[in-house]
Amino acid sequence: MGELVSRLTGLVEAGNRYDIPSVELREAQIAAINERFQERKGQIKLVSHRAAEAGINEVRSLEDVVKLLLPHTAYKSYPESFLAQKRWDRLSKWLDTVSTHRVPVAKVSDVAEVDDWIEKLSANGFFVSCSSGTTGKSAMLVASQKDMDWCKKEAVVAYSWGSGVKPARDRRIFGMAPIAHVPRNLATGEAYTRALQDPKYERFVYPVPPITVGGLTQMVVLRKSIADGTAKPGEIAAYEEISAARQKAVDEAVGITARAVVEARRSILHVSGLWAGLYNVAKAVRDLGYSAKDFNPENSIYVGGGLKRAKLPDNYREFVYETFNIQPERNYQNYSMQELHSGMPRCHAGSRYHVPPWVVPLILDKSGDELLPIAKEEYEGRAAFFDLSLDGRWGGVISGDKISIDFSPCACGSKGPSIRDNIVRYADLEGDDKIGCAGTVDAYVRGVA
Amino acid sequence: MNSVVDIKKNAATAVSAPFFARGELVEGSDAVHRSRDLGVNFATPKINLDRIVHPRTEVPPLLNVPLAEIIDFLVETGQRLIDPNNALVQDCVERMSSTHILPRAVLENQVKGAAAYLDKRLLNTVVERNFPDPKALDQWIPQQDYTGRRSFVRAFAPRLIHVLPGNSPGVAVKSIAQGAMVKAVNLFKMSSSDPFTTVAILRTMAAIDPNHAIVKSMSAVYWRGGDSAVEQVLYRPQYFDKIVAWGGGDAINNVVKYLGPGFQLVSFDPKTSISMVGREAFASEDTLKAAADLASADVMVLNQEACVASRFIYVEGDHEKVDRFCQVLHKRIVERAAASGDSRPLEMDLREQIETMMMMDDEYRVWGKTDGRGCVIRSDEPVEFHPINKTANVVSVPSLDEAVKYVNVATQTVGFYPFNRMADYRDRLASGGAQRIVHLGEAGPSTIGNPHDAMYPLHRFVHWMAHEDGCVP
Repeated sequence: MGELVSRLTGLVEAGNRYDIPSVELREAQIAAINERFQERKGQIKLVSHRAAEAGINEVRSLEDVVKLLLPHTAYKSYPESFLAQKRWDRLSKWLDTVSTHRVPVAKVSDVAEVDDWIEKLSANGFFVSCSSGTTGKSAMLVASQKDMDWCKKEAVVAYSWGSGVKPARDRRIFGMAPIAHVPRNLATGEAYTRALQDPKYERFVYPVPPITVGGLTQMVVLRKSIADGTAKPGEIAAYEEISAARQKAVDEAVGITARAVVEARRSILHVSGLWAGLYNVAKAVRDLGYSAKDFNPENSIYVGGGLKRAKLPDNYREFVYETFNIQPERNYQNYSMQELHSGMPRCHAGSRYHVPPWVVPLILDKSGDELLPIAKEEYEGRAAFFDLSLDGRWGGVISGDKISIDFSPCACGSKGPSIRDNIVRYADLEGDDKIGCAGTVDAYVRGVA
Repeated sequence: MNSVVDIKKNAATAVSAPFFARGELVEGSDAVHRSRDLGVNFATPKINLDRIVHPRTEVPPLLNVPLAEIIDFLVETGQRLIDPNNALVQDCVERMSSTHILPRAVLENQVKGAAAYLDKRLLNTVVERNFPDPKALDQWIPQQDYTGRRSFVRAFAPRLIHVLPGNSPGVAVKSIAQGAMVKAVNLFKMSSSDPFTTVAILRTMAAIDPNHAIVKSMSAVYWRGGDSAVEQVLYRPQYFDKIVAWGGGDAINNVVKYLGPGFQLVSFDPKTSISMVGREAFASEDTLKAAADLASADVMVLNQEACVASRFIYVEGDHEKVDRFCQVLHKRIVERAAASGDSRPLEMDLREQIETMMMMDDEYRVWGKTDGRGCVIRSDEPVEFHPINKTANVVSVPSLDEAVKYVNVATQTVGFYPFNRMADYRDRLASGGAQRIVHLGEAGPSTIGNPHDAMYPLHRFVHWMAHEDGCVP
């Protein structure tokens, strides 16, 4: 890692990391991105292509950075047919175009299934995480061992800042969501366990089969074969059966988890998951006759992601907090995305997400083409970031999120840039007004998602 | 949802889009909406739901107006639409070019071109192809079966909601004409990229005769697709018989949940069109040029915004031959694109996937860039994205027989070369799901009155009513 980059990523444990005004960092950030760019332009094929197209040899401004950002969709630009036809050599070759380090195509391609491919890659130091995108195709994000080590450290320190909890191995962790079984989640899960979990107890394992990349892929492949018209009714029926079994496991997990959490109620708990799962378990806990008064007031919570299209009553948040006796200051919220390896923890006084010095926020227009001028007051636009911590792939990514950012100090006192807690996806805003006579076969595929 | 402050702030800069309610113009700026593609604001009045529903206790106004008179009125409307002094149309094109992705000249041609549909012979032919006996539109047709049972049958005037697409303004003209010819009570739900054309046409009609039953049968409004405050109220069999909707995905899913007994869907589905080019194209330099030029014409229909526009071109030949085809095709697409003055860059998502292909260059070959000036990608299987905005995917196949498997339920038009091999393929194409097979280069035109979306739409629109009259003694 270059010196300029390390100067910023080295602040990961600095007490004042969210308190540095953006103007004081800007030059150092641009210089660090340039340092990264000089190292990577010969390594990441897609970045060198982008740089050549834009005619950029050196990063001198944030405007230059924008020309080198990759949209989040870059990590799903592989043809799905590679998955369907199990062409692991091709998929490896594709992965190589977005990877810093050369993917040993021959070494990893002689495998049967995608999960084996992921495992082979891990054994060779390439950690591929897959997003469980709701639209079907998964993003494949490659990372290095350095990245895994970073995630382990960063996840815990961000949590500690955002929740005020000093890691003391005095908690019991209750995950209440099926977790995608991908290297990054495994690494952060391991780090949380090591930092928080009371060693007297086994960590609770949410009782559903893990979501594997293979599992996600199965759906994508079936969807494609339905679209092509090659799927046989029997294949769809078999998939429906697997889905039903999975749904049954998910339904049963709620009761099992509720009983386990009630049993552990005297301990200090750290509960985590997605809103839908947390709400369902909370409801089951209430049905068993337990609520806030039965739980420890030191309990903490971490909720990942938004509602993800779940339909819950209006008071779902309060209902969950009140069930597990979560005090507002122990409520950890974090803004991040699979494409980044750093989080932006939310403060309590201002309810805003704070951007650390090694993550450079770039607010673009809606189309993602132009950098919006940095305003004196809060302003909104499409979120893009350059995460300087990233080693195994390019750190510059354009997200699908619409955010409001403020480069002036937050109510909590922190002087670094912060983001309002009203993030939405542009895709959800567009709505369904899009009607034309031209369209794809996707509109003819039902039920596999 | 816009806040009141937003509405006040935006109304000042918004383009005005009035409504039309059963013969009357409704103006106002109670709500500000955003257009789909360009994000331009437009202001509309509040929808008065009671005014756009025709009570079932009153027969449809057009019921007893003879079809011939309706057609005459439509023809007169067509004349006024192409009249250069028609301020309503000029103004409409002006407003539309602020909300629509297509260039002004293309839009203007669209509206004018659509007026050609309002031709007496053409409209009569459409009716004759759709109904075995068009008189059923004007009167109760007596008939008798072989057992001696007698009855009268009428193609009774229906109540229709038309959910209009946004990509092709010409559809508005067609929909109005078809709605009028079946004597329907019509409610047009306009799209955010074109909340103007339908009202401009209806105003042009009102200028001919504000009290004519045609004018009284028509309403056009805008609401955001999926807005349950409107759809939950209107989409009921008590108010409408059928909903005529274009598109797929959420647009149709919104509609589907309201379907039920008495409230039916007539859907114009989202379609993908393709081309098939046989080895004969490589007979000489001239045939190659000719075939590539025809293919480019089909790719560039409405700058590839329309469903008939070709996106995948299956070419019978090896890479060496197919690449020669691609080169000429690319050149012609670029020329046509330049002539149309349209160079919107491709959307980020598409750009990314094409650029990935440029890097996987042992499997794909790309001509042109992702700058919206024309791009051709050669592959051995169709690409997984939807080629749009002057992008063609040429798929190299050893035989066109191999290409048949890529025809699916979304396939609409198949442009074919050479023409003498079409008969060999049409059954297999239909079986795969395709709806039209045409000469390469002629994706646009179709024989007047031919089926659309594998049906005769007018026949589907009407409310077939029987009057049983007992048996002959």
